Amino acid sequence: MTNAATSGERLRRAGALQRWLTRPELAAVAGAALVFAFFAVVAGDSGFLTLGGTASYLEVAAQLGIVAVPVAMLMIAGEFDLSVGSMVGAAGMIIAISVAEYGWPLWAGVLAAFAAAVLVGLFNGYVVIKTGLPSFIVTLGMLFALRGLTIGFARLLTGRTQIGGLDEAAAGGVLAPLFSGTIGPFSVTVLWWVLLAVLGTWVLQRTVFGNWIFGSGGDPVAARNVGVPVNRVKITLFVCTALSAALLATIQVLDAGSADVLRGTLLELQAIAAAVIGGVLLTGGYGSVVGAVFGALIFGMVSQGIFFTGINTDWFQVFVGVMLLVAVLFNNYIRKRASEAR
Amino acid sequence: MTQTTADGAPLIEARGISKYFGSVVALEDVSMDVRAGEVMCLLGDNGAGKSTLIKVFSGVHPPDRGSLLVEGEEVSFSSPRDAMDRGIATVYQDLAMIPLMGISRNFFLGREPTRGRGPFRRFDVKFADRITREQLRRIGIEIRDTSQPVATLSGGERQSVAIARAVYFGAKVLILDEPTSALGVKQASIVLRYIARTREQGIGVVFITHNVHHAYLVGDRFTVLNHGRSMGTFERQEIGLHELERLMAGGAELEKLEAELSGGGE
Amino acid sequence: MEKELSRRDFLRAGGAGFAGAALLWAAGCGGQQGGQQQEEGGGGGLVERGDIRIEFVTHGPAADPFWSVVKNGVDRAAADLGVEVNYRGPERFSIPEIQRNFEAAIASEPSGMAVTIADPDALVPEVRKAVDQGIPVVALNAGLDVWERAGALNYVGQTEYEAGVEAGRRMREAGVRSALCINHQQGVVTLDQRCAGFEEGLGGSVTEVAVKGDDPTAAQNGIETALRQNPDVEGMLALGPQGALPALKALQASDRGGDIRFGTFDLSPEVLRAIRDERMLFAIDQQQFLQGYLPVVFLTTYAQYLLHPVGVIPTGPAFVTRQTAEEVIQLSRQGIR
Repeated sequence: MTNAATSGERLRRAGALQRWLTRPELAAVAGAALVFAFFAVVAGDSGFLTLGGTASYLEVAAQLGIVAVPVAMLMIAGEFDLSVGSMVGAAGMIIAISVAEYGWPLWAGVLAAFAAAVLVGLFNGYVVIKTGLPSFIVTLGMLFALRGLTIGFARLLTGRTQIGGLDEAAAGGVLAPLFSGTIGPFSVTVLWWVLLAVLGTWVLQRTVFGNWIFGSGGDPVAARNVGVPVNRVKITLFVCTALSAALLATIQVLDAGSADVLRGTLLELQAIAAAVIGGVLLTGGYGSVVGAVFGALIFGMVSQGIFFTGINTDWFQVFVGVMLLVAVLFNNYIRKRASEAR
Repeated sequence: MTQTTADGAPLIEARGISKYFGSVVALEDVSMDVRAGEVMCLLGDNGAGKSTLIKVFSGVHPPDRGSLLVEGEEVSFSSPRDAMDRGIATVYQDLAMIPLMGISRNFFLGREPTRGRGPFRRFDVKFADRITREQLRRIGIEIRDTSQPVATLSGGERQSVAIARAVYFGAKVLILDEPTSALGVKQASIVLRYIARTREQGIGVVFITHNVHHAYLVGDRFTVLNHGRSMGTFERQEIGLHELERLMAGGAELEKLEAELSGGGE
Repeated sequence: MEKELSRRDFLRAGGAGFAGAALLWAAGCGGQQGGQQQEEGGGGGLVERGDIRIEFVTHGPAADPFWSVVKNGVDRAAADLGVEVNYRGPERFSIPEIQRNFEAAIASEPSGMAVTIADPDALVPEVRKAVDQGIPVVALNAGLDVWERAGALNYVGQTEYEAGVEAGRRMREAGVRSALCINHQQGVVTLDQRCAGFEEGLGGSVTEVAVKGDDPTAAQNGIETALRQNPDVEGMLALGPQGALPALKALQASDRGGDIRFGTFDLSPEVLRAIRDERMLFAIDQQQFLQGYLPVVFLTTYAQYLLHPVGVIPTGPAFVTRQTAEEVIQLSRQGIR
């Protein structure tokens, strides 16, 4: 077996710092701290550190974060969902059209949107499983198809691509405060985000299903061989990403009182970026929900923080791109050093 | 000496198994059996049919002809899960180990222990960690941190963990597909030692390899396949290492070749 | 070889990241808005001009030709008065993004905000939030019906419905009985009002054609299709350059270009040339330069002296026809009209 010399070094218990440094979410947490420090120093007295400023970047983070959590979990299981952005647009229009155009009660419209999300998720999952095509391609196709269907049906049924007037339908009901209410200066969106993050973390780290997610992403063939229902895991996660998109759409529709066919454009890329910043491997099998949470937080802080520095908001996208690269490089660097040291 | 089960039947037995893939004859009338507490080495060159035979044993392929018996009873497996449930555990070359996942997570993948009920049913991480550590200690591997990725183990250690996992989950028959083929000498010796230990626990081991030396180190009996046919099953006393090599390489054919190449110009 | 991961490595990596970010910030600072110079003679009142910061939150992307004139007005006013003004437009029309811009602007506690209330349901609450926090708000360009209840000081812009009516009247005089109304940006209430007024002024039938303003090729196709599907129309009204330019191309491509009386809201160089060359009947100038300039003035005087004009300050409609086209072209080159 292991000889004396090697067993000596192997027996040394992993230092606490060492173990912590190899966690996937490290880069995201450190990145978030860095970004926060940056904006606090540069824009602290311009409003970044005020309650209102904090609420504004938390809102952006929360809206992205709601979708980033299941997207990250799906990526850990080894698949991509590029259709979430289009799903947001579609779900929003389903609610708006059914309520404003056909007079449905609000709860029925929301239910219809969620039902549609389940169907889209199932479709994505089955096509990926049955055809064996990369999910990147399948969901890319769905991205275009769903967006096209949304625009087409919107024009067909209403002649418009943007539908408003939902505030009246929502007034007095229980749905409006549930999805667009506020608690102090913070909106309910943040609560939903936290809820999903906690749920996602618990499922991933503490349940059998979570172990299956890691297995399916790490090596689906090996996982199947030991009896993991890889197909079921992936299809379930596709449904989850679509549902989270429907949730975000509901929140946005009730918040703005309107829906438009272009809502959610580019969201899928932002969600993937948040997950990658959070330490999720593009090849699957590794990552954490907590990381994606901090990835979304970084997005929020950068997109709103740049506002307070007085820099032209055109530079926002440059910041995001650089941030992404820096976070991933940092992550790789730390992981490499930490695993060399073992 | 070799042992049998209580009623004398071998743990698993293949009788006259044939398997065809289209017009390709993968196996033709192959018979083989494994008894409890012995290491049966399945030898043969590449393409001899070893993989196909063990896939039949582990429920991946149904045989086209012939029958499969488990503890004397004829069975027909509809899926690998079936075979697993009957105690036939296969450790493939890829080990079914997921490199980025932790050791204890890997150990219990697909058979996770749980505690709690209903929506609060959770993966019992503590139990998994404890058992993993114990089982690995039994085969001489000390782990600092059971959540460290499997990729941090050496090749020989990984094989041993895979075997330990199969043993822990109640394998009666352990089928090892070329476990030492990708390993260096030192790593291979770790695995071979562990295989010998496993035999002592009364498990029947099918050790597939094309490395005759490794086979001869631990094997009790040897079955040689060649182009889908069995060249026979031999006890250890019956056959020597050199003989086994010759048989694997093609026996009579090789002698002829030898004669041709050396005797050429005379 | 054993290498312990040291705190030094960690700090090194973090330091590199921080340095990179700081570099970027320094680069970005170079692109900051102008108007920082202290001007003499701007003193007196409750605050100094140099301390005044105004946040412009609109629904118009700065790249849009219409809104870039507004921004020119904003920049001119900022330079003339010596105050700081930040222009915040979304990348493309998206209500949630505008809401976020509102929230960030409010949180930055500016001396005043100038906003377009493009979607009353979504944005009136935001304006109210600003007002309740003591930030004075001037509404411009959109929100004619709601600025008062939202709590804004006043409204600078065109009375859209009336402008539409006038456009309809002129078309009727030119012999048009049925027309198309090209809407290039659904969901903005001002555009809807223009079409509605147009219908009333025309007294005939108006069919609304919705196109995607940010995709000129698709818009042109949409308009060509509409022309084919409505063979009896004699007139066409576009609601902005994003609709007018594809419409001009569509008219060129179609064989009915000569029979159709075409007018539009808002100016652009191509539109002005078309009027000069008599391919278009008129363009309605809402003088959006003033919509950028005046709110800055009003918010500055409010911040300094608590004075502000009350009510609606109409900046349009001003009709540009062949007679005045040439002069307007010159001013347009300077980004004034």
